[in-house]
Amino acid sequence: MTPDPLLRVDRLTTVFDTARGALPAVDAVSFEIRAGETLGLVGESGSGKSVTALSIMRLVQPPGRIATGRVIFKGRDLLTLGEREMQRVRGAEISLIFQEPMTALNPVFRIGDQIAETLVVHGRATKRDARAKAIDLLRSVRIPHPESRVADYPHQLSGGMRQRVMIAIALSCQPSLVIADEPTTALDVTIQAEILDLLREMKSALGLSLLLITHDFGVVAETADRVAVMYAGRIVETGPVRAIFRSPAHPYTRGLLASMPGGRPGERLRAIEGSVPLIGELPPGCAFTPRCPNRFEPCPTAPPPDYPAGIGHEAKCYLHDPHMTALQSAAHPQSAVRSPQSPDAAR
Amino acid sequence: MTPTIRTAMGVGAVYAIVLGAALLSPYDPATQHRDRPLAPPTRVHVVDRDGRVHLRPFVYADDESGPTYPVRFFAHEVDEDGSIGSRRLLAVDPPAHIFLAGTDELGRDQFSRLLYGGRISLGAGVLAGALALTIGLLLGCVAGFFGGWIDAAVMAASDLFMALPWLYLLLAIRAALPLDVSPGRALASVVIVIGIAGWARPARLIRSVVLSARTRDYVTAAAASGASRARLMLAHVLPEAFSVALTQASILVPQYTLAEITLSFFGLGVGEPTPSWGTMINAMLRQELSAAHWWLAAPAAALVVVSLLYHAAADALHQRSQVLPAGAWR
Repeated sequence: MTPDPLLRVDRLTTVFDTARGALPAVDAVSFEIRAGETLGLVGESGSGKSVTALSIMRLVQPPGRIATGRVIFKGRDLLTLGEREMQRVRGAEISLIFQEPMTALNPVFRIGDQIAETLVVHGRATKRDARAKAIDLLRSVRIPHPESRVADYPHQLSGGMRQRVMIAIALSCQPSLVIADEPTTALDVTIQAEILDLLREMKSALGLSLLLITHDFGVVAETADRVAVMYAGRIVETGPVRAIFRSPAHPYTRGLLASMPGGRPGERLRAIEGSVPLIGELPPGCAFTPRCPNRFEPCPTAPPPDYPAGIGHEAKCYLHDPHMTALQSAAHPQSAVRSPQSPDAAR
Repeated sequence: MTPTIRTAMGVGAVYAIVLGAALLSPYDPATQHRDRPLAPPTRVHVVDRDGRVHLRPFVYADDESGPTYPVRFFAHEVDEDGSIGSRRLLAVDPPAHIFLAGTDELGRDQFSRLLYGGRISLGAGVLAGALALTIGLLLGCVAGFFGGWIDAAVMAASDLFMALPWLYLLLAIRAALPLDVSPGRALASVVIVIGIAGWARPARLIRSVVLSARTRDYVTAAAASGASRARLMLAHVLPEAFSVALTQASILVPQYTLAEITLSFFGLGVGEPTPSWGTMINAMLRQELSAAHWWLAAPAAALVVVSLLYHAAADALHQRSQVLPAGAWR
């Protein structure tokens, strides 16, 4: 029996109320993060990754709202907490790192004050010693000359330094979970690597868990222990990072991996046909059906449940239903579970 | 010197002048020089009729044939009966007078009344503007920040207040209040009536600023690090609304000054003998007075100058708010 996970998201559904009704941006999403683990949440733009992050923090703004589900953090359901209790969780126990460090820092406050704000709000420092602690934090995220940088405004820092400041703020109260929403997307490739190194290092130094949201499988491969792949508001596959890369179980994951550079030079990248359906115009069954090269009879009828695809590896795909496999191989003899699109075959 | 500072100094100078009325005015605003009704502005000379240049400016008492009376600076005012009054910036000995802007039909010094009346009229504008902006800032922030039914209720109320013909409303409300009240209470009631009638416009403007400010990443980021709603509003949203509020203030204060003048003009503001620019301008209604005595238009001219100063200040503030918060307007 494994110990209780640090965070267990259970059938979380976040909807946006529109004129056409409540549209689910996050649709019955479930996953777990254990202490000290990094979960990579991967998906295209608009797949619901960021809304998932905001839902865990209970920061979804109207017209969005959390409809159903549970977010069990350290044994408590965050969705049942009062606003004041939730404020004590935010920043102190779970903190959030944003994609765009320029807009996530208030342009009119000095960075030292913005670090101090979190410390003071959570009673981790008095106004008097907050400055010294802010300098320590800046030093720990390896900002040069922290004593003078502490008085800088965000516009005086480079993109990478701003993201370091964001990380310093996120780690200031030593949270047990950090949610990093595309932390490197807005940065240069060399800076990306530095920031990822820093995140990994801080993670092991502080023993925290990381929910890393990204659209970049390269980042996931370097950083994550486990991966959850999101498509149109649903998690379609979860598994250990090795298993996902070695033997992706969902045709969408296979398609994503096949569309990444990494094969032989000169080889064409295979893009996934079609485009992501709009929320509210999802097909009735598996949302990937219209683009799926392996679709067969049951796919458009009902959304598939999770099927085991290995140790700790699950996929929402009828290809992995033992009862369906016979039917499927009869219909498409060439494309069995181990499809030729698997990047393993290409490597 | 930036335009903001320059215009702020201009506006500040006007307030400094009216606040210094006790020293700067040569006479008590209520003193009636019964022998000098509707006297034109006193000429201040430096060269006498013999062509001699005086170091100290002087005036003549009645006509330019009589003796000269030097203008004494920071001296005590002396009455016709020889009694010594308070210290004034400008004073001349009786029987001469120094009426810089002439006198009204009761022989009261227009210049002194202009300064004291400015206290009432400009002060009412500032107080009413502060009241309307405070209400507007509060309701606008609450509506924009909390949204939902609170927003709907505040905006419905502001629709109602904006649809009301506020000038007639002011007249009606002020007319319904008792007329024979002390100047202080009359001023307070004018300020409250104007402030309550005027909150809707700033409230709507500030709401729209708050609506866009609260969706900024840094507000979400502050929320994500555990800041309370009050803190989000005060530390991260309000500063952005504040520059708009300041620009609004420079537009609303002259408007409300005008509102006080309008009420006083109709006799619904602060009553005589306390001067207000409105009651002073009222004298011009009587054509037999205004046609021949141009100096009675002094308060109107002062109003134009103050309005222009405020307009320039509003313009400078607006320009400034367009460039100031780098990155915040992306």
